[in-house]
Amino acid sequence: MTAAITRRDLAVAACAGAAAALLPRPADAAPPAVGAPVPADALPAREASWYRKLPEGRVECQLCPRGCQVADAERGACGVRENRGGTYTTLVYGAACTVHVDPIEKKPFFHVLPGAPALSFATAGCNVECKFCQNWEISQFRPEQVAALWLPPEALAAAARQKGVPLLAATYSEPVVFWEYVRDAAAACRGAGVRPVVVSNGYIQERPLRDVLPSLAAVKVDLKAFSERFYREVVRGELKPVLKTIEVIRASGCWLEIVVLLIPGLNDSEAEVRALARWVKSNLGGEVPVHFTRFHPTYRLTNLPPTPLATLERSWRIANAEGLAFAYLGNVPGHPGESTSCPGCGARLIHRIGFEVLENTLKGGRCPTCGRTIPGVWA
Amino acid sequence: MRGTLNRRELARLAVLGLAAAPRLREEDTPPPVRRGRVGVAPLAAPAGRAVDPVLAHRAVAAALAAATGLGNARAAVAALFRGEDTVGIKVNCLGGPNLSPRVELVSALAALLAERGIPPGRIIVFERSARELERAGFPVRRRGGPFLCVGIDNDYDREPSTSGEIGSCFARLVSTTCTALVSFGVVKDHDLAGVSAGLKNLYGLIHNPNKYHDHNCDPYLADLASHPFVRRKLRLVVLDGVVAQCHGGPAYRPDGSWPLGLVAAATDPVAADAWAWKAIDAERTRRGLPTLAEAKRPPRFLATAERYGLGVGDPAAIVEVRA
Repeated sequence: MTAAITRRDLAVAACAGAAAALLPRPADAAPPAVGAPVPADALPAREASWYRKLPEGRVECQLCPRGCQVADAERGACGVRENRGGTYTTLVYGAACTVHVDPIEKKPFFHVLPGAPALSFATAGCNVECKFCQNWEISQFRPEQVAALWLPPEALAAAARQKGVPLLAATYSEPVVFWEYVRDAAAACRGAGVRPVVVSNGYIQERPLRDVLPSLAAVKVDLKAFSERFYREVVRGELKPVLKTIEVIRASGCWLEIVVLLIPGLNDSEAEVRALARWVKSNLGGEVPVHFTRFHPTYRLTNLPPTPLATLERSWRIANAEGLAFAYLGNVPGHPGESTSCPGCGARLIHRIGFEVLENTLKGGRCPTCGRTIPGVWA
Repeated sequence: MRGTLNRRELARLAVLGLAAAPRLREEDTPPPVRRGRVGVAPLAAPAGRAVDPVLAHRAVAAALAAATGLGNARAAVAALFRGEDTVGIKVNCLGGPNLSPRVELVSALAALLAERGIPPGRIIVFERSARELERAGFPVRRRGGPFLCVGIDNDYDREPSTSGEIGSCFARLVSTTCTALVSFGVVKDHDLAGVSAGLKNLYGLIHNPNKYHDHNCDPYLADLASHPFVRRKLRLVVLDGVVAQCHGGPAYRPDGSWPLGLVAAATDPVAADAWAWKAIDAERTRRGLPTLAEAKRPPRFLATAERYGLGVGDPAAIVEVRA
């Protein structure tokens, strides 16, 4: 199911939330009405929360590990943060370019309120450049190049509550680049009975991560490969900080799931998958769900074929053999690897086809057959 | 049917061929590139921002003539552009009203193109956004006037294309509309690239330049310049060096600026930047500042561009021809 929120819904929700008076004021322009288009030549500039000032009007971004040093009038690699006279500003706070209600399985989270809808939002921009990005039309563009609506955090939380949607998901592009927006949306969710979750590449510095993590119900990290070379050549990022992020999330107690998109010939070797599975087992434990998903040719990797099913199944077997209790397959609708089984007795607990949950037999987070506790956010 | 020609028929063909030769040459011969050569003409910095249009025209014309060695601007423009061309003039207005190409200089180039027979509707001055053009004093218009003046805003190709390390959507003006390009930049220091002149200005042709500033923009700027859209269409670089900036770029910094008093032109886009590098380093040295290399931001992309065969990137090898 994918249902767009209408502008009317948003306006009503915003009124119900009585948020307008509390809206953050952009530095150089009055914000448009809630739900109205953000003018491309009047982006909602707002001082960034994680940076430091350098001599001669330069700034150093302290949000992601790139640590961009940015001169006046320039932007960081993400394209959404700009140095304006020595003040680093985010240009996407409250400027949502995408808002949809998706099933949580689409993120994918398989251990978070199965079958629940999630109000999902994003802004333009990303701090890496994956050559296989499926959302490149928003992630690889600057905010003035992508149509957006003015949806401040309170409006998002209120819209979710009004729609009866229990989850708010920052997703699609890269939430790290709109981290202030994520932080404040998560805070707004607290009073609205909505749980905020994040779908991220995990390429973030530790301090901003720790600043926001306590507010989040769950984080899904795209672990794009298990080699620095892949990260350098295909992602324009680094593996090591992503692994650190995953460890911090796991240690925090926030629910964590990991997705690995297997791309033929680039990150799908048996040795790499095995090394990844072993790292997960030894550093995070065997109960973190790991999803192996199928690649489809897109963006700058249109020359490669979709991932063969045999590769996905081999990776699934490796993960199981290495002791990962919840290995899944993705983008292969109807495959048994989409469903959740009890690692104790083998009983099927949650039967999925694609993003649909056909059956969920969990009782209070336990296997109804053997009583084993299944980790996750179930209620 | 007879398969051979008699002497009379042969002679007629020869005469026809001779008559057609100049036109064929015009159609088929690529525009001349004077490798390593940069033409410069003096133009004193005025008290305010605007320069006298007559002096501006004279300076641009002289710089073009010096850059091509063809004696006069009319011959230079005729060698570089065809009457059928649609010419895009990319201006770099990031520096705002104080550090963008002057309207008078750009207008002078447009006038020279018009003299070549290119109608005003096919001379298109453009920048990333209409807002930037307006800030720099350009009259944004989609019809009328001696040239059109438009922002790319969001009019990019729908799919990216790749050249070396870059993968970008190009402005449709560049990929589709224009048959010839001019990079009309300024002479300034750049915090990451080292130098922003003719090549750095080309980042405004693509949708995602922010991804390509690592390692002093190397090899990205060279990769962009070697993309077929640019390599086949870029005919000329013109630089407004009336006032240049040796420190604190790319934004305008009055304390980093100085009156260089020159307009520069080159058919070799790499040479134009190498010349700008030399000018900036000379001023930095005069002020006791470290050179760009010492400041750890040499424009490395120039050596890469030279390796790609795009021009001469070594400042020491540049031939500066004064008008």
